[in-house]
Amino acid sequence: MSERHIEIDGQSVPYEEGETLLEAAGRTDAEIPTLCYDPRLEPFGGCRLCVVEIEGSHNPVASCARKCEDGMVVRTATDALEQHRKTLVEMVCSENRQVDVDPLSGFASQELAVLADRYDARTQRFVGRRSGQSRVDDDDNPFILRDYDQCISCYRCVRVCAEQEGDYAISVKGRGFDTQITVEFDGKLNESACTFCGQCVATCPTGALADRKALRHVDTPGPIEKTRTICPYCGVGCSVDLLTKGDSLVGVQPAMDGPANKGALCIKGQYAYDFVQHGDRLTTPLLRGDDGELHPASWDEALDVAAAGFLKARDEHGRHSIYAIASGRAPHEAAYTTQRFIRAGFWTNHVDNCSRA
Amino acid sequence: MAGQNNEQLIEHWKDEPAPLLPLLHAFHDRDGHLSEDALRAVSAALRIPLADLYGTVTFYHHFARFPPGMSAPRVCTGPVCRLVGGTELLEAMRKDGATPMACAGRCDEPIPVLTDHAVSVGATVEALQERPSPLPVANPGGLPECVFRSIRKEGRAGIAGYQKSGGYRALRSALSSGFPAAVIETVERSELAGRGGAGFPTGRKWRAVANEERGPKSVVCNADEGEPGCFKDRVLMDHDPHAVIEGMILAAYAVGASRGFIYLRYEYPQTAVILQRAIDEATEAGLLGDDILGGGLDFRIYVRRGAGAYICGEEGSLLNSLEGKHPFPRERPPYPVSHGFEDLPTVVNNVETLASVPPIIDRGGDWYRKLGLGDHAGTKVISLSGDIQRPGNYEVPIGFPLPTLLNEWAGGAPEGRTIQAVTMAGISGGFLAGDDLETTLDESSVRARGSMLGAGGIMVFDDSRDMVDVAHSCMEFFAHESCGKCFPCRIGTQRLTERLAEADDVGAAGPGDRADWAREVEDIGEVMKATSACGLGMAAPLITESLMRYWPDRVAEHVASRAS
Repeated sequence: MSERHIEIDGQSVPYEEGETLLEAAGRTDAEIPTLCYDPRLEPFGGCRLCVVEIEGSHNPVASCARKCEDGMVVRTATDALEQHRKTLVEMVCSENRQVDVDPLSGFASQELAVLADRYDARTQRFVGRRSGQSRVDDDDNPFILRDYDQCISCYRCVRVCAEQEGDYAISVKGRGFDTQITVEFDGKLNESACTFCGQCVATCPTGALADRKALRHVDTPGPIEKTRTICPYCGVGCSVDLLTKGDSLVGVQPAMDGPANKGALCIKGQYAYDFVQHGDRLTTPLLRGDDGELHPASWDEALDVAAAGFLKARDEHGRHSIYAIASGRAPHEAAYTTQRFIRAGFWTNHVDNCSRA
Repeated sequence: MAGQNNEQLIEHWKDEPAPLLPLLHAFHDRDGHLSEDALRAVSAALRIPLADLYGTVTFYHHFARFPPGMSAPRVCTGPVCRLVGGTELLEAMRKDGATPMACAGRCDEPIPVLTDHAVSVGATVEALQERPSPLPVANPGGLPECVFRSIRKEGRAGIAGYQKSGGYRALRSALSSGFPAAVIETVERSELAGRGGAGFPTGRKWRAVANEERGPKSVVCNADEGEPGCFKDRVLMDHDPHAVIEGMILAAYAVGASRGFIYLRYEYPQTAVILQRAIDEATEAGLLGDDILGGGLDFRIYVRRGAGAYICGEEGSLLNSLEGKHPFPRERPPYPVSHGFEDLPTVVNNVETLASVPPIIDRGGDWYRKLGLGDHAGTKVISLSGDIQRPGNYEVPIGFPLPTLLNEWAGGAPEGRTIQAVTMAGISGGFLAGDDLETTLDESSVRARGSMLGAGGIMVFDDSRDMVDVAHSCMEFFAHESCGKCFPCRIGTQRLTERLAEADDVGAAGPGDRADWAREVEDIGEVMKATSACGLGMAAPLITESLMRYWPDRVAEHVASRAS
């Protein structure tokens, strides 16, 4: 069977049955703008920025939703399309309080600002009523900021909650310009079906849903650096990017290309990292003295005492008397070392991890 | 349903086809509103996430969440009702808890007020009374008709009267012939096209569904007549309900469907009763149910009432609504012929289209085709309202001159007035004025004037009317009814409404400079027409386009008044 092709901006592009125009165009130089698109979700066709012209079709079509058909001739960036896109981005900017938000807001939070720059759309045209009402009353959850003044009704949060997380916690109230993202009975997040996985925050293109914990560090000096690692809390192995400013851990973002999670996280992986820089953490070994109290000690002193204790247990009760539990809050390297230490050091398999899920 | 507890209501509906809307209505009817307790019960019974259900319920204008709920009057403030005091009537009834509603399809005798399950009509509080839909007057030109051919016959709405005047003859002959394909051929030959406004050839649609292998298939009658100024489907259903039912059975036979739904707009409560009575009669007579007339066809019809959403007249939204989903339009393709109700092959046809089928089968495709003038096939019902002597429904041959309809058939403008403008396609075709009023009523002529014939609603505005104000009320309607799915329509209808509002209106916004104003309005219109996800967003800017075309001076004055 001969390979099927469509033509995109003059270039012949092979495609797989069922692929959309946007997916096929992703393998070309075409740069089709989107706002309601998240590659993990079912096509929606809301923002209409991805419209392209198909030869023989009267109106442009949404490339995110239209499937490739053999022989289609597609143009992705005609003057008319680019003009429509500029107008659309200007219209979207007109419904929000501001275009620019701190990148700590969330993974996708810069999408609107990037498009506003690309289309030179900070024109202040189309002024009028703003859409969406922020939930300033919903401050009793420490995780998710619901700043709906910034909402553009792309429904990515609603769809990721249903399609990726399966929580169905978020939905759409009202219609038209009065559309409002909501939960059941307009309540607060922590009284809803929300599990605070944070995926709605990660997919929001405007910062309308934002990472409240990360935003505590807006004024922390320094650029944001990302370090890829694996969440230690359980056995799934979700990839995360740790956000740091200088020596401070300021946030966690899910890795969209993480093979195990593809951008998904749970509340622990997303938000439970305050212990890292917590003031209660030990900064030096402590040894219990004859007075029954803990006293600061050097590492050499502490290790000598620990080693003596382990050896005494082994000599008196055998190698299986020793059992180690690694902490889910420790780095992977520490978990690995613990396992080697117990298996190779004591010849026992009595080792586990507190987050063995 | 009064007096039934939650469990009884749920037990009654949960295994019925398309159960969400009727179950919600059952609770709404019982309590007068949809309480949190009711929504939790429905959510659990139908396994719909509570947040989804809550959101979907809030989409519909007429589902009340709190008392006084459905017992509070809703007063039509549509474009025609505003001409005769809709706003004043609303104010007069505010003390009774009245709220406004969009055009409720009684433009032939305004103003409708909906309370509980009854629509009363009248221009003042004292004049309000419940009245049946007026019958169409005898064809003023004495021209042959299709859907109105027998509608004025005595007792036509009952099965006995219907059969006495030739009803169910077409079905009997089609079933006895044993060739469903013959029905499709006749409909194709008639050149009948969708009378809901889209104009897709009916025979071709049926053939596509007939050729699909998956099933069960459905026939959906689109009776969500929400277009302002359109009230033809109501009159057809009220006075000739069996014609619609017979048309649906013929469609089912032609395509092999077993389930039929009539999706009826909420604002027609009396029609719901009439339709259900007719369905019961037909079932009793063996015309619905298993093995219809011994011809081997199993087919049932279910009435499903909407709850106040213009967008549910769009077929994708209608199907989502039937399925209990959020009523956003669907991306097309795939089309309902292959992926309709429950993702299965489905015929979706307008009331008038289906009611045209029995006479076509009875008299032949050529007969119907030749009813049109010139090269045009068939007839169209026009709903005429506003500043006109004799408002009402008129069945005209396609290609009929608009001036003849307006001036000779309907008596022209009120005494001492002249016709300034008309709307087309309800309001979806924008305005026609000046020389363009000379058009003939067929899609090609009307489209050549930048408008469309659509579902055939024509509202008339005389020379005393301020067309900027009319345009504002039309755009306000579109903004109110925009579903919110796509950006161009959701934001565009709002921005256009703000730009059409009078300077001292709290809802006014936009430039005070004429060129800037025009550029904004045109840019929004262009992007809406080209990129909107459905017909609502594509049609709405025809209002501003035609306003600027016909009344540039009035528009300039309007913008200038905002500059200060």
